[in-house]
Amino acid sequence: MVNNTRSNETLSSHLSKSLPSVSITYISENSVLLEWPEKVCAIQHQHIMLCQTQICNALTDKVIDCIASYASLLIYYKFELIPHDELNTLLHDLVQRPSSVNNVIHNMVNTAESAVDNNHEQNIIEVPVYYGNEAGWDLTDVAEQTQLSVKDIIKLHTQAPYRAYALGFTPGFCYLGELPAQLQLPRKASPRLSVPKGAVAIAEQQTAIYPNTSPGGWHIIGQTPLDMYSTDKQSFKSTINIGQSVKFVAISRAEFLSLGGTLIQEQH
Amino acid sequence: MNTYENKGLTVVKKNGLCSIQDLGRMSSQHLGFSASGAADEYAFLFANYLLGNNLVKDSSGTSPNNAALEITLGQITFKAEQHCTIAITGADCSVCINEKPIQNWHVHQLNAGDIISFALPKSGLHTYLAIAGGIQSKSWLNSQTQTSTESALGFSAPMIKIGSTIPLGEHSTINVNTINAANNLSIKKLTPSHFYTAPNSLLTLRFIPQSLYENIDNESQEIFCEHTFTVSTDINRMGYRLSALPTNVIINTPSNPKLSKPVTYGTIQLPSNNQPIVLMKERQTIGGYPVLGCVIQTDLFKLSQLRPGNKVKFIPTTLNFAQQQLSAMYQRFK
Repeated sequence: MVNNTRSNETLSSHLSKSLPSVSITYISENSVLLEWPEKVCAIQHQHIMLCQTQICNALTDKVIDCIASYASLLIYYKFELIPHDELNTLLHDLVQRPSSVNNVIHNMVNTAESAVDNNHEQNIIEVPVYYGNEAGWDLTDVAEQTQLSVKDIIKLHTQAPYRAYALGFTPGFCYLGELPAQLQLPRKASPRLSVPKGAVAIAEQQTAIYPNTSPGGWHIIGQTPLDMYSTDKQSFKSTINIGQSVKFVAISRAEFLSLGGTLIQEQH
Repeated sequence: MNTYENKGLTVVKKNGLCSIQDLGRMSSQHLGFSASGAADEYAFLFANYLLGNNLVKDSSGTSPNNAALEITLGQITFKAEQHCTIAITGADCSVCINEKPIQNWHVHQLNAGDIISFALPKSGLHTYLAIAGGIQSKSWLNSQTQTSTESALGFSAPMIKIGSTIPLGEHSTINVNTINAANNLSIKKLTPSHFYTAPNSLLTLRFIPQSLYENIDNESQEIFCEHTFTVSTDINRMGYRLSALPTNVIINTPSNPKLSKPVTYGTIQLPSNNQPIVLMKERQTIGGYPVLGCVIQTDLFKLSQLRPGNKVKFIPTTLNFAQQQLSAMYQRFK
């Protein structure tokens, strides 16, 4: 009986129900924040990225910048160029209108399928990591806190590809998720003033690579010789872009050095 | 004969902070670059307005705008290597040209060889030294703004130090009478003393509330808005940390760490130590702390001039009001 009722529902309404509600908040004079339910979820994140593209296409030159994160999207816009009601209707339509929702779901399914296909091919960015103790400053601590052996930590960290959910904190810093549950730890109680360039670190559900020496409160488990961005005269290219897949690959100290890495040991 | 010489201004003494600022790198935040930009846009725009430099056309900050020097806590001396027309605005640094005091919020002419010195201001933080035609420093992703971390990485011009030369544009000398801006100040209601609160008086920060604030009970909201906060010593171009909330304000911040989300200019963060942080121009792009709301921009320009020990309070307002205030301010500089 229940099954029959479900099968009688139109596709559209079923799809509408499968999409989470998106809250729209005008947080400042020139920015509006779209928020999805708080979760690290690849399918939801694909919806966020599709909304980002659609909103940028719809608003064209009225958009100043559009910043995606795990479960949110911030749009900076030129408020003098678009009446509030018009923008509000447009945003609601884009994220919630059934016809849009169908398109989004359709695109989502296609994107999800193509993403899965690509994952099996060449689209995964491989990040070589030397997980030795002199590179992974917090490796011993992490082993203690997680009750795992260093070998198991490396195995878990390199196991599955991660999705790039957000860029921020500093240019080229990409938030990757979701970290296996066994490796999830709160941030360090006291952040370091200097985390080395290339540090591979973990905190909560996330892992990331520090593109440059900077302060930081994440647990350092290794170092990579890979640069996190390249620059041209007037352009900046991040090695990892939002939505891409990233896999860590364990390398030896010799491989790290031969790839041009500079091993930085902690100063006590 | 070509009489044009572009030699710029040379820093001969420096004890405070000085950076090149414009209206910010607004469109590269998605790459992780701080928007940055002039801390006090009112004083920054005022200086450019006096010189007839290109001004903001809309809120985006993407229209042509002329970079100026942002001098924090004075204590800097320049030697003019060429003739140029300048404007001084913002915190009053008892500026002197060749040891003769000159007026703040005014245009002045510098001759080659002139020495212009900025003392420690008695109140306020940021002073703007704008030059006719702007500064010709390295532009990166459509902005000349400097942030300490990103400049260190070579993304924008190297930070200014003793011996640095500030390169000027081709039209760095103008006849002030031709631009007429000085005469328009009263018509445009451009009176700095009407914009800023008196030194050391209480500054009210109007803010657009978000759900964390809206969901606290009325009594706690009242206590929050009646409370006087003190600006802590932990302040810089990135953010202003304030004294702690009164203990009888009950805010149910989520116990689980939230996923980081984009933050904006004026975001009021509430870390677990209950000391609110107001994010300023050189903020990060993404943050993880709970958010109470966002201070309106025209009040943030005033906040940027406050020092440790100064007092502020919060009062909620609406998006519509915030937009009207900002538009009205920009309108005056058009």
